[in-house]
Amino acid sequence: MSSETVLIENESDFMRSPETVMRLDRMGSSFPTRLSFMRTLIRRMSRENWKFERTRREVDKDGYGLSVYSVTTPNRTYSLVGFTQEIPADMRTDRVIAEVWDATFNLFDGVPTQEDIDYLAQNTPKQEGGRYRPSELALARANKSLRVFKNAVDSLSKGQQPDLDLLTSVGYLMRTSAVYGSGKFGCADRAKIADREECKAPFQIELLTVYLIRWFTIDSVEELAKEKGGKKAVKFDQTTRQFIGVGNATGLGMAPFLLKHPALIHNWVVAKETALARVRSIETPIVGTLEVFLKSLLQVSQHVDEWNVADEVQSARISRLTDEIQALRMWCENESNIYRPYPWNGIYQYVEDNFSLECQEMIVSLIIEPHGTLVDDLADTMSSTVIPKFQADMTLSHLKEVVADAYKWATTIDFSLEESQHHFWYYSEDKLEPRFGSKGVDDGVDQEMPLAIGRDVHDLNEVLQGIDDDMSIGEFAMMHPQFRHIIRRVQNTFERPYSEVQDNLLSESMRPLDLLRFKLAFFGASKFDPKSDLWTRISMYQGAPMPDQLSEPNHDCWSFPIAGKPQSYPCINCTCRKTV
Amino acid sequence: MSKNGLTISLNEVLFYFTRAGFGVNASIGVSEDFARSNIWIAQNGFDPSECSLLALDNLDSQTSSLSIQFEKTGDGSHLFCPEDKVLSAIEASVSCVDWLEFNGLDGDLKLTNVDSPLLVVSALGANQCTGIQVSWTDKSNNHYEVNLKDDIEWEIISSSEAPIELSNYADIHISAFDVNNKTSISNGKLKTLNIAEERLKTLNNGVNVGDKWPEIYEYFSRCLVKSSAESRASGAGAGLVDTD
Repeated sequence: MSSETVLIENESDFMRSPETVMRLDRMGSSFPTRLSFMRTLIRRMSRENWKFERTRREVDKDGYGLSVYSVTTPNRTYSLVGFTQEIPADMRTDRVIAEVWDATFNLFDGVPTQEDIDYLAQNTPKQEGGRYRPSELALARANKSLRVFKNAVDSLSKGQQPDLDLLTSVGYLMRTSAVYGSGKFGCADRAKIADREECKAPFQIELLTVYLIRWFTIDSVEELAKEKGGKKAVKFDQTTRQFIGVGNATGLGMAPFLLKHPALIHNWVVAKETALARVRSIETPIVGTLEVFLKSLLQVSQHVDEWNVADEVQSARISRLTDEIQALRMWCENESNIYRPYPWNGIYQYVEDNFSLECQEMIVSLIIEPHGTLVDDLADTMSSTVIPKFQADMTLSHLKEVVADAYKWATTIDFSLEESQHHFWYYSEDKLEPRFGSKGVDDGVDQEMPLAIGRDVHDLNEVLQGIDDDMSIGEFAMMHPQFRHIIRRVQNTFERPYSEVQDNLLSESMRPLDLLRFKLAFFGASKFDPKSDLWTRISMYQGAPMPDQLSEPNHDCWSFPIAGKPQSYPCINCTCRKTV
Repeated sequence: MSKNGLTISLNEVLFYFTRAGFGVNASIGVSEDFARSNIWIAQNGFDPSECSLLALDNLDSQTSSLSIQFEKTGDGSHLFCPEDKVLSAIEASVSCVDWLEFNGLDGDLKLTNVDSPLLVVSALGANQCTGIQVSWTDKSNNHYEVNLKDDIEWEIISSSEAPIELSNYADIHISAFDVNNKTSISNGKLKTLNIAEERLKTLNNGVNVGDKWPEIYEYFSRCLVKSSAESRASGAGAGLVDTD
């Protein structure tokens, strides 16, 4: 097994099993934790005293033109190069098939020359239609939330703060609709930067891009307000500024990634589950942590109150979550429930026994939160460059054992039923947009993406039953090449049991949304706002410190933020330790 | 994307070549390995479309076959196509790696009538198979020996100036690399490649693909599904106009 594979602390009785964790309904109830990648990045920015600077702003009175924002780390500089333009309202779409955007960006590796800027000016606004070079680390675009953007510019230009209710209901000024990295459209491969300290954790470059875009959106609104209002204009007040996140519309493109990177996903999940297990195994709580948890329940109630969505399913889940947090607070008021040995395990067990998955996963996040000193080291274990390899020297009997042990969820599905094979995944010729089709309705079954893990393992298992154990796997794969990919996957699962989604991804009842939320929570996204079963809007960096706040002692205190107020309880992970 | 003279990333090599393999009816698992081999080729400074197009064309035209069998011989083992066709390098490469992993190099391994020998070399390289020599004489009578010495360097010794990526149709011999007897080619041209240095160059400059790229893209395109008004409207969930 590769040293990059996170080893499971098997001695812990508190570790949740893959069968519990890797189910779609639980994955679709995920929340960010302090191990989420945005949190990791912000901590590094603060710890290493990164320097931020707007180096160019060459725009007209409406804000259209070029902007460059740079960030200097201890070892190098990165630059966000942004282009803004006026676009027709009816061409504003969150879809991959969009052709124009309000703002388009590249994250440039270093400081771009004028020649670089000229090159990007010809390509970046075209997004997927342009071509990029290894000097470009990421490619992104964003559209305005028109009503919030306009309200903010108008209000600030008149010397007033924007409508906080409106801002709270949306949460951001602009919404990204794609952030590409890792070699997309000619950009730098992940391998180019993988050894850099600041890039070792997953998605740090993409999330740095988003962080800089957030700053760009806030800076742009303030500059436009100044252009419009002159001396009357004001900036956002500090608390509002910090509350503003950057939106994102996430669709199906994220789902194949999860399924195609099993070794990486294993490492993410093991890190989070190990963090939870470490906390649950504490017999005597660290001083102050229980008090922080109890106060965080109050703050999270307010956070959930501000989480309003149109989607009926999610709305009902939020409503139930509100009630359950209230019930948990009451349960915690009985000191005998929490001031006892293994209090965190007691809290977790109570929630698991009594409340919804949404509440269980929220509490996982909240009980991990005060334990930075105990769990933050796990953030360093969450990346992977392992490429699962076909192991021809595994015995067929061993393969059969792994299928029997780790894939019962798949081998027991009846795939002869239509509802078990209702869906398929494919790439459309329309800008390679990933789509989710229904058999008998949509074309493209023959070109389906190889994401039917459960069905393929089921079929493999059927064939394996008739094969003698003496045959080598290499020989079997020669005779049955159609199973090569799934054998490789099964072999990986044997080494990395948290790598597999243990549900049928073709089922009629399958909601890709669950996969999206799982991944987005690991990124650190919040305020999941499903627009259908296939896509969701979210907020990123809501509550996170702005560049000029990174050196403040409370830079890590921004989980589950609430509008208009900083964190309302004393922090235990940093030196701020003050109640506001 | 279907343009000439492009520079692409290694991730794009993976994306496009996996689907190009699938586009000529190789299984997805074999296609994944085919793409990994092409990454290794690209990392070493070669245009992956140059050596892979013939293998794709041959499978598409059914000139070659994915069928493969092995047999023990007096001095080693033999992989061959049981049909009266060329053995596709797309299959030969994965079977060769599997065979070596399972059996080790106990005697020589011979692969008969393979269309694109460099694909076999690249599969071995991509799977860190070292300490071996791969040799062949192609249909133009050019003789090549490739020494996969260790995980630092590999070398190509050729009897002519003809590019190795275009060498085709050959019986391939795989044997243990003998440091004291590096080549049997007299007056051969030696090219030594440092794996880490070549990879770094590729990461910093990208992978140049030449005039065969559009045909690779054509095979890739077979995995794409035509868009209809219905799939455009409903297949991705989000609306065609999104404002707030």
